Amino acid sequence: MGEPLVELTGVAHSYRANRVDVPALGPLDLRVEPGEFLVVVGPSGSGKSTLLRLVSGFERPTTGAVEVLGGPPVPGRDVGTVFQQPRLFPWQSVAGNITTALRWAGVPGADRPQRTRGLLAQVGLVELGRRRTWEISGGQQQRVAIARALAARPRLLLMDEPFAALDALTRERLQEDVRSLTDGERAVVFVTHSVDEAVFLASRVVVLSDRPGRVALDLPVPLPRSGVPADELRGSAEFAALRGEVAGAVRAVAA
Amino acid sequence: MALKESGSAALSATHSVLVRVAAVLALIAIWQLLVLARLWPPAVLPGPGQVWDQLLAASDSGNGQGGYAGSTVLERLGVSLRRVGYGTAYGVLVGVGLGLVMGLVPVVRAVVEPFVTFLRALPPLAYLSLLVIWFGIDEEPKVYLLLVAAFPPVAVATATAVTGVNRQYLEAAHALGANRLGVITTVVLPASAPEILTGIRLAVGIAYSSVVAAETVNGADGIGGMVLNAQRYNQTAVVLLGLVVIGVTGLLIDTALLALQRAVSPWRGRA
Repeated sequence: MGEPLVELTGVAHSYRANRVDVPALGPLDLRVEPGEFLVVVGPSGSGKSTLLRLVSGFERPTTGAVEVLGGPPVPGRDVGTVFQQPRLFPWQSVAGNITTALRWAGVPGADRPQRTRGLLAQVGLVELGRRRTWEISGGQQQRVAIARALAARPRLLLMDEPFAALDALTRERLQEDVRSLTDGERAVVFVTHSVDEAVFLASRVVVLSDRPGRVALDLPVPLPRSGVPADELRGSAEFAALRGEVAGAVRAVAA
Repeated sequence: MALKESGSAALSATHSVLVRVAAVLALIAIWQLLVLARLWPPAVLPGPGQVWDQLLAASDSGNGQGGYAGSTVLERLGVSLRRVGYGTAYGVLVGVGLGLVMGLVPVVRAVVEPFVTFLRALPPLAYLSLLVIWFGIDEEPKVYLLLVAAFPPVAVATATAVTGVNRQYLEAAHALGANRLGVITTVVLPASAPEILTGIRLAVGIAYSSVVAAETVNGADGIGGMVLNAQRYNQTAVVLLGLVVIGVTGLLIDTALLALQRAVSPWRGRA
């Protein structure tokens, strides 16, 4: 096993509310290796989003240590983030949003137009670059948000329930696209409520317990990641078995 | 679909213009009826026709008076608009700069806001005397007066807009690796632009309504100077002409700024 991309050691996090510390997460240990597609599932309030905010560097743990690529995480460095809402800048065009991300990633001006086209092509929106962000559908907006998060070629991509607000069909299509985002180098940490989504996307599923979230299940998902059509994969006996195991764990922690 | 939408928008814009024109015509008709009713003598309330005659006379540089008291209405309007332009431009620069700092640094806002509110409460004529003592009677006190009148609404609008920028955009920018300057130039300022422009529209209105005050000191060459001069000689039609010119040009400037506001923030209310 090589150097982990993410390493959480004894991490716990509390929020202060009405002068009382409310434990939200942990303590827990977690490692994410290069190439992994880790999906975190758990009931509302189990600290899934807190976990992502700790890894992205927007929050610091109350106790324990978070390391990303061997150091404390800094927002915007080495990590790409896709939020539940696309959060595109409406005063810029679709392409403008991606070009801005490239500029902030330090890509030279001369290379930006070509890289922008490449990223738009990657998410299948090359013909929509000049459109305003509010002129495209919710699914297309989330695709742009993914392209924008990939602009800096991050080794770690964090996705916080990015498809929660989309209709079922758009959601399935985007799941199929996102599934291939990992490679030997890049890892994805994806948070969701949906057990189906988790088993379809993941190479590994972690189920968090009810607040404060602790690791209740850490399950490898040995489904093929290419070569099998999505519908066939979703209808397979292996998928059903894994789905049952994860759903059972979620029911147990929510009870 | 898009054609239909723009077609209906154009129709409603035409409709809106027609309604405005009808309202102005109705106002002129009421004015004329009041004059015909002879409730007041013509020296107190001249009719629209007399004001129109004054406009023609004051616009004719060859009438032996060079228009009105040495300058045509258009020349006077140019002089006043230049003063308003400089005063507002400096006011906007100071207002946006100060408002940005106030919005970004809460301590600065807490310290500066009472002073800005204090200035907003002062009528321009109240501080004109001070500005004349400090800067003399040339262009400076007029432009400074308009600057002082114009910058508070811009500063307050900018500070409020900056404070209210959606945190989700700021977090998205940080997540994409933006530094502080990048966040300000690429997120905070564009997101605040609609409210800043509302502040600028207010500022232009205040500056324009203060131009008569600004021209009470050695400002006879402006449109406000014309009004003051006419008042001294009881030329009510000229006073009304000055008010109409100021009002109509103010309306046109505001319409242009509103169009600019819509052009730079078409996303407002949609995202």
